Amino acid sequence: MNLSGSHNDRGGQSLFVGRVRADEKGMKRVRAIEYTAYGDMAALEAKKIKEEVLSGFSDVRDIAILHSTGLVNAGEISLLILVSAGHRRQAIDACSMTVELIKERLPVWKKEIFDDLSHEWINEKKA
Amino acid sequence: MEIKVLYFGVLAEVTQTMFRQYSGIISFSHLMQRINDEYPDFVHYTYRIAVNSVLQNEEPQLKNNDEVAFLPPFAGG
Repeated sequence: MNLSGSHNDRGGQSLFVGRVRADEKGMKRVRAIEYTAYGDMAALEAKKIKEEVLSGFSDVRDIAILHSTGLVNAGEISLLILVSAGHRRQAIDACSMTVELIKERLPVWKKEIFDDLSHEWINEKKA
Repeated sequence: MEIKVLYFGVLAEVTQTMFRQYSGIISFSHLMQRINDEYPDFVHYTYRIAVNSVLQNEEPQLKNNDEVAFLPPFAGG
């Protein structure tokens, strides 16, 4: 198995896999989440996040971020982050930081779709 | 001015579209007036604004062909 291409200086890699949970809300259960993204801005923001994390962890060599859009069924993967570093400690810490920044700053929205096909926007706030 | 407007998340549901082109806009407040007139429910939602993919902290000064995006609270991951 090779997750680091031709690089052999990466002693530690941390992988985060985010999946859609079949949460129960009242009498309903989540069957899928529909993700939408502001593509241009998300690409810019993901690049900024990578640069910030790389500048904060001297041992981190590379960060890969993959975020799903469209319909993702319960149990399926919505987010993948792979951080490669010289050693494990910074790989784990940088991966954790990247996940938090993605959740805080990536212009992505999710609509939970329930088993009765009703839906609810996550984080929707009324002014 | 010609202004491209993008609506995301619940705001795309409120407006029933993700994209609108507005003509004859003279300022950001004029654009907001047009949007609020067209979609009376718009004022009930919390959102941030990006112009050409850059988040704005103050009322933006718009230029012809700017892209204005209305962004409800993010929910990635």
